[in-house]
Amino acid sequence: MYKLFKISGLVLTLLLLHMYNANSQSSSSPYSLFGLGSLETSSLGPGKGMGGTSIAFRSATYLNISNPASFSGLDSLVSIFEIGLFGKYTSYASFTKNQSSIDANFRYVVMGFRITPWLATSFGFAPYSTIGYNINTKSDVEGSNLKYSKVFSGDGGINRTFLSTSFKITKNLALGVNASWLFGNITHRELSETYYYTLEDVTYLSNFHLNYGLNYRFAINENNFSVGLIFGDSKKLNAKNTTTIKTNTETEVIRGRSSKYSIPRNFGAGLAYERGFFQAGIDFERSLWEGTEFKNSGIRSRNCDRISAGVEFPSFGPNKGTGRMLLYRVGAEYRESYFIINNTPIDYYALSFGTGIPLKGVLSTVNVSVELGQNGVKKKDLFRENFVTVHLDLSLRDLWFIKRRYL
Amino acid sequence: MIKKGTNSLTKHFTFFKVLVCLAVLILASCTKINEFTIGDNFVESQTHLTVIDTFRVDVSTVLLDSLYTSGVSEAYAGRYRDNDFGQITCTSYFTFNYQYFSTLNESAIYDSAALVLSYSGYSLGDTVSLLNLNVHKLTEQIKPFSNNYLYNNTSFEYEADPLGSISFYPAPGSGDSTISIPINSFGEELFDLIKNRGEEVSSSNWFSSYLKGFAITYGNQGNAIIGFKADESHLLIKIYYHENTALPVERDKLPSISIGMGQSNYMFNSLKLDFSDSPLENIRETMNEIPSAESGNRAYLQGITGLLPKFRFPTLQDLLMEKRLKILKAELILEPVKNSYEKIPLPDRLYLYETDRLNRMNKILTDANGDPVYSTLVLDEIFNEETYYTIDITSFLIDELSDRYFDYNHGLLLGLNQNSLKSSFSRLILEDGHPRVKLKLYLLSY
Repeated sequence: MYKLFKISGLVLTLLLLHMYNANSQSSSSPYSLFGLGSLETSSLGPGKGMGGTSIAFRSATYLNISNPASFSGLDSLVSIFEIGLFGKYTSYASFTKNQSSIDANFRYVVMGFRITPWLATSFGFAPYSTIGYNINTKSDVEGSNLKYSKVFSGDGGINRTFLSTSFKITKNLALGVNASWLFGNITHRELSETYYYTLEDVTYLSNFHLNYGLNYRFAINENNFSVGLIFGDSKKLNAKNTTTIKTNTETEVIRGRSSKYSIPRNFGAGLAYERGFFQAGIDFERSLWEGTEFKNSGIRSRNCDRISAGVEFPSFGPNKGTGRMLLYRVGAEYRESYFIINNTPIDYYALSFGTGIPLKGVLSTVNVSVELGQNGVKKKDLFRENFVTVHLDLSLRDLWFIKRRYL
Repeated sequence: MIKKGTNSLTKHFTFFKVLVCLAVLILASCTKINEFTIGDNFVESQTHLTVIDTFRVDVSTVLLDSLYTSGVSEAYAGRYRDNDFGQITCTSYFTFNYQYFSTLNESAIYDSAALVLSYSGYSLGDTVSLLNLNVHKLTEQIKPFSNNYLYNNTSFEYEADPLGSISFYPAPGSGDSTISIPINSFGEELFDLIKNRGEEVSSSNWFSSYLKGFAITYGNQGNAIIGFKADESHLLIKIYYHENTALPVERDKLPSISIGMGQSNYMFNSLKLDFSDSPLENIRETMNEIPSAESGNRAYLQGITGLLPKFRFPTLQDLLMEKRLKILKAELILEPVKNSYEKIPLPDRLYLYETDRLNRMNKILTDANGDPVYSTLVLDEIFNEETYYTIDITSFLIDELSDRYFDYNHGLLLGLNQNSLKSSFSRLILEDGHPRVKLKLYLLSY
């Protein structure tokens, strides 16, 4: 019952944000104009508080979808359900202007549980990339000295639904495989409200994708260490493009352009240290984007790295070790962009702070984290984004095999 | 347990509230969606908008075969001549209502009778000179056509000698005032019939074959057409009489019998047009259509006479050769001839009617929503230089081009709204020399 109230509370917040969004600028970033858009990392709620660090962590009280081997850490009696939302405020600064936008949305829903002592599984829905921009320009009306406003907007992105399975090979070693169905669309629009026309270029993308993970865990006295490795091969996405022109009176499909999109080969390694309620980790990840082509001039791809580190520690005082104990998280992340504009990378730096708040009476936690960072640089033709993102993650745990006396 | 849960719940709801408030505050400070421009140097336009006005428009003036003028609220009479439109002679026809005439006393004595007319306020032409109008009695029954209409070129027989005549200085501006055309001998005849309960005034049928109606015609003097209110309480025969002969009384105070105008669809205005010595002189010889080049690079519009400018688009077919091109907007730019609208004001709104090879006035042009398309008038009241109408014909062009073929015979007639067209002399002289009528196309290429 209470869970329901809480979920509806969250949903309400989201809806409210969404309603306001409809009336104001909603955008992930004008940089999402290129390629597959802005890439999302696969860290969930608690990881978001630690700069996205998650490769070596095992799923225990939370789910970790960065590494498909992580689910072997799940308790056999518990099923976990996680839902994530975010709200992001961005201010943009170029040499000539400063503007700002807000973006808020649902991000993921994941469920995980153990099937047998050696087999655990997880499935869910999370974004791989998002596109969201809305850019107003003025264009010439040729043959006159008039100008008219033209809006360029984009939305869509790649989503993934996935099913992960972790196998516990030995007491210390777990292997995992994750099967994803990647699907979505990339939509770019060019429209004029004065002259009522829209050119809409939609590319539907999909494909099946596998990636793999390893988790090795060992203890020295009370110190637990784990190593995580992840790997996913590159994959071409099936693309179907339609470009439509709509005027006040007619709609015409003008072409189906062939377009190539793929996701890159990706690998990463992580280290984690754990002692009592304290844990820390670092991640390193590399994605081989080089060779990807962009339609836009002046843009080229490159291989890019992601590095992050984070710690989680409990609140001190009387609640430590009890069900009312708060967890605090701090982390930092550096992410290279997969494209370079006019020889300038659009890199991402962020600091994150988070907390896990247990909900009384139920085995659930609200994870809130705040990410402060910047993306890109202020330079000729380029702009810097400074952002504050609030991530909200509700982790619901349910005891499957215990019949409660009072429900 | 439950109580505890509720407390924690309240606490978290407070947290959500704070969150929502914060979100709202941030949102309020954000750049509006239609003002956001960052990233404008990254976008690459695939659409281009061009405006051109070089497509030819063939302009002519069409004289409609006929235009129905019955059932309107104004009766026009008079003659007007000017150098642009030639001479218009207007006669209005109408019938009378039968009523049961109450018995008059033996002592009632006829005094006088008149046809009373009330100014509608509308006039065309010269109102400072004397105008001579006659009233004739019809010798033929007014009979609408099977569609219940009577037209501007319909006419009925009437007695050659008028029942009455008046010469007056028209004062159409003076709202309430009336003029009376004396019809004394007819009045006396009618009075006697009523007094003696003659067969002719005993029933509606008898009455209407006795008094078939009147025609108000132009006499022999004046250069104006005057509008009168055409309804039973404003257009009437008034017969005055006295009961006692002792004192001379003012006419207004005498008892009277009123006979008002009959059914409105039996009332109509009939026109005689004489274009000699006008630019439209040859219009009847050329199938009722004259190209603007043969009428001084002008085209003519006048409501009730059925003179309408016509537009055709001989080169639009070329647009179909272009691929990846859409018409976003098409408008006609229509300039009235300078100084042609000083005495008679320009119509506020112009409408378009589809037409064909036979110059029939087909359906009114509508936009994509089915609403009639009308013009916007841009008035340059200071210099009189930049006065023009624009009228959107996008839906027409798109419709015509949709079957990949543009029929040159499909044109547009420029008119007024349906009511003004049949009941007003609103006029416009369109310039088609300097400048020509322009078709402005907003084309999208992609």
